Amino acid sequence: MKEGFKPRVLRKFVGTYRPKIDGWEKASGEAEYLDDIALKVRFPGMLYAKVLRSPYAHARIKSLDVSRAEQLPGVHAVLTYQDPEVASLKPTQGGWTPFFTTSYDRMTWPTYKDRRVLSDRVRWVGDEAGVVVAAESEGIAQEALRLVEVEWEVLPFVLDPVEAMNPGAPVIHPEINPNGNVLPPSPFADSEVFLESGDVDKGFAEADVIVEMESDYHHADHACLGTRGCLMYWEGDKLTCYTSYYQADQTRMHITQMLDLPLHKVRVINPYIGGSFGRGNTGEQPFFIFTAILAKRTRRPVLFKHTRREDFHDSRNKIIYHCRMGAKKDGTITAAHFKSIGDAGAYSDHTMAATDYCVRGDFAPGTLAHIPNLKMETYVAYTNKIPGGCKRGIGNNQINLVFGPAVDLLSEELGMNPVELAIKNFGHEWGPVPDESLEAVLRAGARRIGWEKRHKPGAGPTYDGSKKRGLGFSFHNSWHALWQEVPRGHIQVSVRVNPDCTVILDAPTAETGTGSNTCNVLSCADALTFLGIGPEEIQWISHTDTERGLKDQVQTDSAIAFVQSEMMPKVGKMVKEKVLELAAAQFERAVEDLDIIDGQVFVKDTEEEKSVRDVLWQADLVPILATVSEPLPEEVTGTPFTATFVEVEVDTETGQVEVLRAVVIHDCGTVMYPAGAEGQQVGGQAMAVGETLTEEIVYDPATGVPLNFNFIDYKLMTMLDCPEVEPVLLEVWKGTGEYAACGLGESVTTCTPAAVLNAIYNAVGVRIGTIPVKPEMVLAALGKIPNRASQEERR
Amino acid sequence: MNRAIGRSAGGAAPALGTAERGEVRRSPSDPIRVRINGAWQQFELGRDIETSHTLAYLLRERLGLTGLKVACDEGACGACTVLMDGEAILSCMTLAVEADGHEVLTIEGLPEDDPVIEAFAEQCEPGYGTALQCGFCTPGFVMAAKGFLHENPHPTLDEVKEALSGNLCRCGCYAAIAQAVLRAADKMASQGRQEV
Repeated sequence: MKEGFKPRVLRKFVGTYRPKIDGWEKASGEAEYLDDIALKVRFPGMLYAKVLRSPYAHARIKSLDVSRAEQLPGVHAVLTYQDPEVASLKPTQGGWTPFFTTSYDRMTWPTYKDRRVLSDRVRWVGDEAGVVVAAESEGIAQEALRLVEVEWEVLPFVLDPVEAMNPGAPVIHPEINPNGNVLPPSPFADSEVFLESGDVDKGFAEADVIVEMESDYHHADHACLGTRGCLMYWEGDKLTCYTSYYQADQTRMHITQMLDLPLHKVRVINPYIGGSFGRGNTGEQPFFIFTAILAKRTRRPVLFKHTRREDFHDSRNKIIYHCRMGAKKDGTITAAHFKSIGDAGAYSDHTMAATDYCVRGDFAPGTLAHIPNLKMETYVAYTNKIPGGCKRGIGNNQINLVFGPAVDLLSEELGMNPVELAIKNFGHEWGPVPDESLEAVLRAGARRIGWEKRHKPGAGPTYDGSKKRGLGFSFHNSWHALWQEVPRGHIQVSVRVNPDCTVILDAPTAETGTGSNTCNVLSCADALTFLGIGPEEIQWISHTDTERGLKDQVQTDSAIAFVQSEMMPKVGKMVKEKVLELAAAQFERAVEDLDIIDGQVFVKDTEEEKSVRDVLWQADLVPILATVSEPLPEEVTGTPFTATFVEVEVDTETGQVEVLRAVVIHDCGTVMYPAGAEGQQVGGQAMAVGETLTEEIVYDPATGVPLNFNFIDYKLMTMLDCPEVEPVLLEVWKGTGEYAACGLGESVTTCTPAAVLNAIYNAVGVRIGTIPVKPEMVLAALGKIPNRASQEERR
Repeated sequence: MNRAIGRSAGGAAPALGTAERGEVRRSPSDPIRVRINGAWQQFELGRDIETSHTLAYLLRERLGLTGLKVACDEGACGACTVLMDGEAILSCMTLAVEADGHEVLTIEGLPEDDPVIEAFAEQCEPGYGTALQCGFCTPGFVMAAKGFLHENPHPTLDEVKEALSGNLCRCGCYAAIAQAVLRAADKMASQGRQEV
């Protein structure tokens, strides 16, 4: 048995290793997902909606004839962009909300209303085009789409973000920028230079050593096993929507605002969801709206669900970074300059959060706060490719891909250990340097990986004739501390204590696999220990349903592990008061004379006592109801740190890179549910190493057609491919509230790609800045084959 | 939920591969007979199912046996794994008519206390995480593990990794899944129930 983490504060349930509360439902196949509900055996009249997909990277519908599709037996409705109920809809956006409910007039990115619900204009291969059908089977719906006659005006397209910025490039969104593809600066910035502190020119002039580094991240897909969709039906004037997007309340807001419906006439339900990793942050998808219209027209339940191919639908943004960093001989960093070129893909969605908003609001204050001279700028372009946005964080992996190697290179030039350089310079805005959390994280990682044995670049022994090994690491601030969640507004939680002393817990948030439901049950059990109960006596409500009345927490980020838990002590206090009131009546005593410990109510200083269960059972058999709705504390505490250390093996003959070991360290403040947290740390490496080495969306450059939107050619890691991962959980940093915690689910992937690049350099002495790292790139870097650029020159 | 054949609490799983087979097909108009979770069922071609329907479609869409999931629909992920005559197969890559005369076991046919289900549900020892997060791939892993442990009741870790490398888990619970399978093997050995 491996050694588990040691909690700073011992609690009865929070912080303990135990099974997931939904483990049996999921392992037995009983857990229900959208796919398991939206069946004809459950909704006999159900119709299947299919939308026309663009065969072209960039095109316009010149004319449309749907008459043959309408006549196909089994087709119940054909809706097009020309229909008045579609044409009259407002322009919209794919990313209304970062993590709290927003309305149309308060959406995060009002500047870029670049989506229409069905349009004559298509901007990437697979884009939803102007026709959607509802039919009795998927096959009939598919056939109906084949019968739609479209005359396309095929437009020139552009796939590369740098080319997209050039004058003369085909303009993808003239309604946003008629002159080119560069997105206007975000509503949070005046210009492309979105952050400037001190004087970077002066800072670089003071430096003894200046390094430059470039990186190129790619559009990595979420590739959740459960695909996205919705089932909609009307009962009178009320619309019900089951969906695999994880934000019931926000989905309700989206539908009501787009269709001009009152909130009480739309009910949204989230059953179990087959993975998310941030894809719901582009949750304001047009398909909700056209599915609702189809259901209204046909008066039938209508299911719209992506096929596997269609579910390659949004991604982590491709971002190209250039970083310049300068330091004095003693290792004091004097200046840093980050410049990025962001690739939005066909729609802006949350791209500006990845390149600007979260870099400025999170990474800069979280890690770079003590660099005296700092400049950050970004240029973002539309391209005719898959849109980008949130994926396990937003923008953090991409900037870390240049930051980690820049720190590594700078330390090499200075002749310093990069661990020491990092501890000397980096920390968050609200605390001193050295930062206690960063130091603890890096020291733990260095110890576990055996950092002191690291050799000079390329100077290690050779294994099996051609293989070289190397060590590398990278680090980043974690995010989603309690204070960062204040915009969520009031957090609502309710418990009902039944007369038999069992509990129904309503802490609504969609269950996507993060384990926040287990965290909530454990914190609820801790808050109610006086009842003499444990997690087994608490039933959580698995489906989030806007009609149950409490606002759900958007399952966007890892703070879900504790934002609702923060309300549990308040709930516990309310329950206790109510039990005491009942007991006081039964004992004929004053409330002040009574107390409760471990399920027993007793009269202080006497032998007189009674179990809570007896008190409840002898009362009116009506459950005790305790509901809390309170905002979060605003005190700002900064954030803790995370790091990944890896050992890689590079085959210098084949160029193959293998990650042998990864040590993943997180300082969480409080670990709510260690088996869940370690599951994120270990499991996140399957995704992170995949993004670094094997996963890549491949486009045909001649047509813009994506070639591998499937699980055979988009190469996810399997059980055989995964490195051995050592998860390390620390509780050093302290936030606010009962748990003083910070999330970790996003940041489990943040540092791995950069750590792998640094480890490759340590193994073979060549730097690679582009991922995924493919064997030919390694061989080219080693000079064993010509690199691609020179190959292209020869042609 | 319209489950054609419900789960029997605490009961033993129906023995596979030994039960009486349906008669050999006689004419194309004869119904298909499949023994599903212990009970023979008949399906008329053209009425109940089409020749183009997959076994996954028959089980999920017609019978409401939704434990198996269709995630890739092309044999790449293993989420649709069921046992046919005791062997793990991909039900999205098997036509319903191919199951004619065969014995199909879906996860609904396993008892509540099945050692593999329990091992997956319980997995939480330090250092590996849980054996499931979102749970969408889990029934496929459980059934693949059932088939594998039937063939190899005392596997090594490397054998488990090899055997289950055809199943994808995007949450990346692989390390904990491997531990759960090893634990399930121990449970089965100690319970003396190595039959599937």
